[in-house]
Amino acid sequence: MTATAAKMKGQAERFRLPGIAGIGFAGLLFVVLLLVNVYLNPERFLPHSWGTLIGLAAPLISAALASTPAILSGRGGLDVSIGPLMGFVNAIVVTIIIAKWGLAGPVAVWVAAIVIGAAFGAFNGFLAAIVRIQPIVATLGTYLVLAGLTTTIVPSPTGTIPSWFSGLSGAWSFIPLLVIGLLWFALTRTPYYTALMATGSEDRAAFTSGLNVTLIRFLAYLVGGVFAGIAGLSLTALIGSADPNIGETYTLLAISSVALGGVSLAGGRGGFIGATIGALDIFLLQSALIYFNVSTFILQTAYGAILVLAVASTAMQKSSGGRDL
Amino acid sequence: MGSMIAILRRQPILGAVLIAVLLYFFGLASIDGFGSTFTLRSMLILAALLGIASVGQTLVIILGGIDLSIPFIVGFANVVAAQLYGNGMNFALVCLIVAVLALAIGAFNGALSARLGLHPLIVTLGVGTFVQGAVLLWTAGFPSGSAPQYISNFVSIGGSIGPLPFPGVVPAFLVMTLAVAFFLARTPFGRRLYALGSNPPAARYALIDPVWMWAATFALSALFAAIAGVLLLGFTGSAYADVGKPYLFQTIAAVVVGGTALVGGRGSYLGTFVGAIVLTEINTLLIGLGFQPSAVQAALGAVIILLVSLYGREAHLREQI
Repeated sequence: MTATAAKMKGQAERFRLPGIAGIGFAGLLFVVLLLVNVYLNPERFLPHSWGTLIGLAAPLISAALASTPAILSGRGGLDVSIGPLMGFVNAIVVTIIIAKWGLAGPVAVWVAAIVIGAAFGAFNGFLAAIVRIQPIVATLGTYLVLAGLTTTIVPSPTGTIPSWFSGLSGAWSFIPLLVIGLLWFALTRTPYYTALMATGSEDRAAFTSGLNVTLIRFLAYLVGGVFAGIAGLSLTALIGSADPNIGETYTLLAISSVALGGVSLAGGRGGFIGATIGALDIFLLQSALIYFNVSTFILQTAYGAILVLAVASTAMQKSSGGRDL
Repeated sequence: MGSMIAILRRQPILGAVLIAVLLYFFGLASIDGFGSTFTLRSMLILAALLGIASVGQTLVIILGGIDLSIPFIVGFANVVAAQLYGNGMNFALVCLIVAVLALAIGAFNGALSARLGLHPLIVTLGVGTFVQGAVLLWTAGFPSGSAPQYISNFVSIGGSIGPLPFPGVVPAFLVMTLAVAFFLARTPFGRRLYALGSNPPAARYALIDPVWMWAATFALSALFAAIAGVLLLGFTGSAYADVGKPYLFQTIAAVVVGGTALVGGRGSYLGTFVGAIVLTEINTLLIGLGFQPSAVQAALGAVIILLVSLYGREAHLREQI
């Protein structure tokens, strides 16, 4: 028993290593951007404003984390519906759970967000793993459905949230991130994590060694959906209302964060630390450029350039250390 | 029913054609004026624009990649062409500049992805974002200018060509479809595309240079996106950097509804041609049935899932070992 557990742990660590090794450039970028930000705007980085700061970054970080399990599961695994799912959770929680049903307490809101996230995650998993539609197409279908539903329910920004909820973008902004982090940490302690990484790296080998690849992939989308539901709470706390236009923008940002953080889009390589650092890079870049009050166009240009530069330099770093292609 | 689905799975284009025909009759039965020349003409123009933007996506997907820079290149060509032509430049020169820039951007996408083994999804997304940001910076977010009259006539809903009740873009789209199909099936480049897409290591032994092929294919993709961008300038009349936005996912949807799998090495442009028509039909139908734009979007998503689950399913892992 202990021998098996130790072996499993060894395997898990071996699998996890590339995730940290692959984030060299992103990690360096993080340090540089953090220093630049602190130099430009020290006030914002003092302990008393940490709550607000984390609240600003939380939707993007959790969106990146929600995208990670599906990507890790391999064979084109990708969930492009993460952004619209966050927007949908935002719309339902504000206009239906809180405004219409009057369930403004934390329990009802958290349960609703997690149930909605899990339901659509399971739907994506069903399409991608069981019906076997290519993930980008399956989740694109879900993307369109969710974005359309959100705009139907909430045609324009509306609604308010109770004060405990606003607190999730202030002093308590770390709670949603902590919940996602703990859930994922718990998962990495189970055999599921090893099975997921094995499936992502080489699904045929995983299948022939008896792993239930279909179930593993299905669960990856389900887990991502739950995280997206929680990410929707961070988003709602930050904007303080229901807005049909914001959620969608997180899809491409989240995928960029994940790639920036060294998570391989081919699956099986990378992890939560990388995805978090990737998301922080993008957040700090945005916040530094916003400080200079430059136009969003410069932000967009810089962000595109850094994304390409980051993935390219990570790849060059790897190939110079390894075999010559 | 079971055997029919089996046939569709072997011949996905047949499935798409069948659905296009069924949708057409459904439209005739449920919406007044669906069969009118006007509706038919506008559907054909919209399908042609989507089809042209999807040429590159088809080629890139056959190669085993994906191109998310198409909407950005469409917007780039749209704005740059309008801006330069508005500044009084000769339109032929404008087109040349736009084409050369688009080819260069596309070649960069492909070469970088292939040389460093990067996922093209991220490379094209990053490069596309950069290009759009640069264009917006250049025009300060307020692009001006328009297309010359003959481009507008070429794609206008009211246009006609000779005795035909269609503007020039419709017959041009048909000719282009045949040309692309011929290019894929009968030229060395086309055959190399399939070879490299289905088995990259084996293609190397056939002396196919992957970096060159990727650069050339992504360059072609950007070129077709740029053509769509210039035509859209004629269609809408004014420049708009986000004009290509719907094409991000619609080009992928057209390819997939047309029966081309995203795994590489398989598929055809004829499928994408039918896929573009099916998507345009569904859109027109839903709007004709009185749905709001947001409901149209939701229904389109559901229909894509439904169609692809009918004939676009991947084989089970146990059949791939």
